[in-house]
Amino acid sequence: MFELILAALVLPIVIGLITLPQKNLTTIRYTNLAGSALTSGIILAIICKITEIKVFSSEFLYVDYLSAVLLLVVALLTFTATLFSLPYMEKEVKEGHATEKMIPRYYALLNLFTFAMVSVLVVGNLGLMWVAVEGTTLASALLVAFYFNRSALESAWKYVMICTVGICLALLGTMILYYAQVNAGSETQALNWLYLKQISNTLNPTIVKLAFVFILIGYGTKAGLAPMHTWLPDAHSQAPSPVSGLLSGALLSCAFYALIRNVIIIQGTIGTEFIHTVLLGLGILSILLAIPFVLIQHDVKRLLAYSSVEHMGIIAIGFGIGSHLAVYAALLHIINHAIAKSALFYLVGIISQEYKTRHIKEIQGIARVMPTVATMFIIGILAITGTPPLNIFISKFLLINAMFESKMWLLGGLALLLLVGVFAGLMNNCLKMTFSSVPEKMKQANVSPVALTAIGFSIVLMIVGGIYLPTFISDILTKAAEIVIGG
Amino acid sequence: MTLLTVLLLAGAVLLTRVSSLRTAVGILGFQSVIVALACLIFGLKTGEFHMYIAAVLTAVIKVGLIVYSLWRVTLQLKHEREIANFNVSFLLAILAIIVSYGFVNKVLPHMAGETLGAAIALTMIGLLMIIARSQAIMQVVGLITMENGLYLLGLSITKGLPLIIEMGIFFDILVAVVVLVILTHRLKYSFETTDTSILNELKG
Repeated sequence: MFELILAALVLPIVIGLITLPQKNLTTIRYTNLAGSALTSGIILAIICKITEIKVFSSEFLYVDYLSAVLLLVVALLTFTATLFSLPYMEKEVKEGHATEKMIPRYYALLNLFTFAMVSVLVVGNLGLMWVAVEGTTLASALLVAFYFNRSALESAWKYVMICTVGICLALLGTMILYYAQVNAGSETQALNWLYLKQISNTLNPTIVKLAFVFILIGYGTKAGLAPMHTWLPDAHSQAPSPVSGLLSGALLSCAFYALIRNVIIIQGTIGTEFIHTVLLGLGILSILLAIPFVLIQHDVKRLLAYSSVEHMGIIAIGFGIGSHLAVYAALLHIINHAIAKSALFYLVGIISQEYKTRHIKEIQGIARVMPTVATMFIIGILAITGTPPLNIFISKFLLINAMFESKMWLLGGLALLLLVGVFAGLMNNCLKMTFSSVPEKMKQANVSPVALTAIGFSIVLMIVGGIYLPTFISDILTKAAEIVIGG
Repeated sequence: MTLLTVLLLAGAVLLTRVSSLRTAVGILGFQSVIVALACLIFGLKTGEFHMYIAAVLTAVIKVGLIVYSLWRVTLQLKHEREIANFNVSFLLAILAIIVSYGFVNKVLPHMAGETLGAAIALTMIGLLMIIARSQAIMQVVGLITMENGLYLLGLSITKGLPLIIEMGIFFDILVAVVVLVILTHRLKYSFETTDTSILNELKG
């Protein structure tokens, strides 16, 4: 197991290092495709192994069912993002948005980004987890700034500044948590997650509560929870589309994972009431703040980015309800959202390449120009808004169900109402883009089959996920939910 | 130790009044030297070996590499100056010091050392600089100041984090500065200024 985890960490670094000095674009493509397939394979092997041995723990590494859920997300998205990058970046070079020289850098950074995300999920020490989360910001910052044009620079600057300051507050929280640990008389195994969890009821509640506030603000910023979400639409809209998919689907989820790991310890000390109230509040606020921006949006990638804020809100609500069913639904929602949102970002990447704009009003008649892409786009939008019978419907339904089961009538009603608002905004914008008349200059476009394969893979998962959830996955989710609620 | 704390806070307050980028980077270097010295003193006091390593790391990374890379950028930004309302931030910095010492005395009286209050004040001044300053380099200086404050805070409440975590944090900070320096270069190249207040196109 140790070797597997080590391989999952080392492989992206090695592939990145091989890519960087490479000049031959074809070689770069094949190395990266093979590399990402292999990395994903290794991660899947780790997940399989976890279902057998339940927990793996060494001095600095720790993997259990909860990590397995997120590892699944990273494994899926790394592979589809790399696969989609191949035709996307080729076209960017052809259209002159990027030069051939920039391509090795792109793939090297992409690998570094994967490495950082995997390391967030496999370290078993809250201090090192902080280091890894900050690492994801730094690895992705230059990807956000990839085109180095004015808006890319603006978004990257804001991204690094806001997230680093946020994450510094999380460091403060982590230090305070360590202080609580030292105060409880146990300096050995500093910030070791498993050890902290065992002694969590001996920590001083006042100090831990203070730590929680900072940790929540810190990782909440990175996870895109409102009102700390301001970097998110900028960064998501300016990054190359495969990266936007990774940012939205995998990075936000990884930041949320770091938050949940901390919360598991904190709830052992201060109980769940305060934590749940704050999470529910932030969750509702995230959905609420996203609605106006979804309703009147002019940039299609920002539209999807605000939808990510909304979904992070839904996940926060799931953890805020705190019943087993709700946490199960929230974890399932993390997976479903990652699959659907990344596919949508890839699709929008193709669309904006063909129309040479991201402006919603200028994109018209996708159904005529690219029928296959349009079909997938509509399926994706239906999925992301939670329409049955697609995957997100299941997790949203379970979540709302859990809300009513926990007797949160008012909150459940409010959440449903807000979701209707998001549905209206997304549908209005996207149906117009798809079914309006075609502008004269647009001709029927040929879309690369490789790109369609990458997206088709996610689309199949979305449709299947709505009808059938393998017992293998639901087993992992059930046990992960038990870990979160403190079983 | 008292002398170091006073020097540290004086430097931080001075930082809020500086308009030349190079002076700011110089003060930052001075501040990091003090943090490294503080680390050394803590090491002598507690006799913990990892403090010495941390002191050396602070000296090499924060005083050496970070200041050097920022200094090199400022050499290319000869005409960039910070224009902001210095009086307000000066007053806020003083206020931050008073509040943090008051807070420590009131809430955590049993550990009201000299450094804890200074650490909190330093963190707040760093945050203040990031918010109030618009020059890119000034914001980076604010970020490092904030990190210095956090580091000192960790030092004064827990005798520092374990070495492996600390090394990770140092590495992160170093990479963050490298990334921000690259971005600053590009800002200069694309916008012909490093004033970040012009970064206001992305809205809604």
